Amino acid sequence: MPQLTCVDPNEQAINVAFEPGETILQATHRAGVDGILAECGGGCSCATCHVILTSDWEGTLDAPSLQEADMLSFAVDSTPQSRLACQVQLNGQHDGLTLAVAKRQY
Amino acid sequence: MNIGIVGAGQAACTLIAELVRGQFSGKILVFNGESYRPYQRPPLSKTWLHNPTDSELIRLLPEPIETHASLEWIQDHVVSIEPDQGVIAGKHGRRTVDHIVLATGTRAKTLAIDGLPADKVHVIRTLSDTIHLHEALDAAYNIVIIGAGFLAFELASSLEHPERTIRVLAKGIRALPKISVKAADRLLEETPASVRVGVTIERYDQDSTSLITNHGPVPADLVIVAIGAEPNTELAIACGLGTSEGIPTDPLMQTTHPRVSAIGEVSLHTQPHLNKVMRIESISEANDSASTLAKRLLGAPEPFKATPWFWSDQGKLKLQIAGLAARNDEETCLIDTQTERVVIRHNGDHVTAIEAANAAKEFMAARRLFEQGSISHKALLQAGSVFSLLQSSRS
Repeated sequence: MPQLTCVDPNEQAINVAFEPGETILQATHRAGVDGILAECGGGCSCATCHVILTSDWEGTLDAPSLQEADMLSFAVDSTPQSRLACQVQLNGQHDGLTLAVAKRQY
Repeated sequence: MNIGIVGAGQAACTLIAELVRGQFSGKILVFNGESYRPYQRPPLSKTWLHNPTDSELIRLLPEPIETHASLEWIQDHVVSIEPDQGVIAGKHGRRTVDHIVLATGTRAKTLAIDGLPADKVHVIRTLSDTIHLHEALDAAYNIVIIGAGFLAFELASSLEHPERTIRVLAKGIRALPKISVKAADRLLEETPASVRVGVTIERYDQDSTSLITNHGPVPADLVIVAIGAEPNTELAIACGLGTSEGIPTDPLMQTTHPRVSAIGEVSLHTQPHLNKVMRIESISEANDSASTLAKRLLGAPEPFKATPWFWSDQGKLKLQIAGLAARNDEETCLIDTQTERVVIRHNGDHVTAIEAANAAKEFMAARRLFEQGSISHKALLQAGSVFSLLQSSRS
């Protein structure tokens, strides 16, 4: 199974196995990564599943939808590498990549 | 201090997560009356119904929290509580705690229709409801959804299929009466269902498999009742802490008994945003009331002060609402383009809600502005958008 490395808000690195096709939110939630609130349950409606990708992700993903970009503009300390975990679908290209959970979701 | 939580839904789980993260020193007993581990409800009528796969995907609590040593999960249906003694009595046993938290949530309202066999009627509130509905869909070509709220239209959208005809029947004079006419129109443009309002259902005719209504017969292989929810207050009523309207609490989520708190959709308390005592059914209410109680139990009480928010998905359309309007509040359309529509609900100059269709930035800006205080209708019209008003308030 492909894997991601996820750095949680306490700077702990956690290995997250994923099935291609699932979202970062689904994979990190199953792995028990802390700090992703996802209040709306993955509906792109609350901006509380904010994660920050490393530059290695470049070219592996489509740009955020307008809806996601709008929500992200209100996330705490949003960066150009910020994404909502519920909106990013994983595939085989993402095996071995790293991401960080935002320090704060509010 | 040991606490016992009755219920394992959104409010209970937010409380659990915040207590665990806040290193609560006592034991936390959680009484879960359902046979599934805690799961998220919003997807039940949205993405998950469309494609129900693994219920792990809608699991509510991260593993390290769900399995934390301070928690004890008790799979039991609570039948009574004794506040003075701190007793929670389930079907399978009694436990004693220092503090009882009622997070019993709501249940779907049902509707008795003469002649309609039980296996043709569905409600959507729990995971097992959704699984049952999904199993019944194969043989359902004519689906009738009774109700006129978000749930009815989310279901219609999730159930869309070339071989199905979906009809929404509503009793009232218009669909989606809780939101503005302009926002409702935008949702109605998207719905795959044919919608009929002012409908009274007389009975079900088994021979023609139709609902007999004041508008004539309506074919129905399967009927979904989506007419709202009612609070589970029986435990509270039995010990004098609530009524069928809800469980009254103070702004710290304390009921009239010092050993009992109530959170989530059963709690009836002052909503500061509206300055009105009411019960609100939303994820935001579940989370915010649970957070308020968590802070109190962790020794840093802060009164409830959140502004409610809501959302509904229908296919590509996303409606997000910040605040809560009364049904007769005025409406002014602020933005109306091919994609976006933003409607202000207001009572004179006092803005009560912002309804944003495919306009996430406006919605988020409205939430921030409500957090800062009240919004003036006049100032909002002058600014031209909620986002501009937020920016000018920051400069």
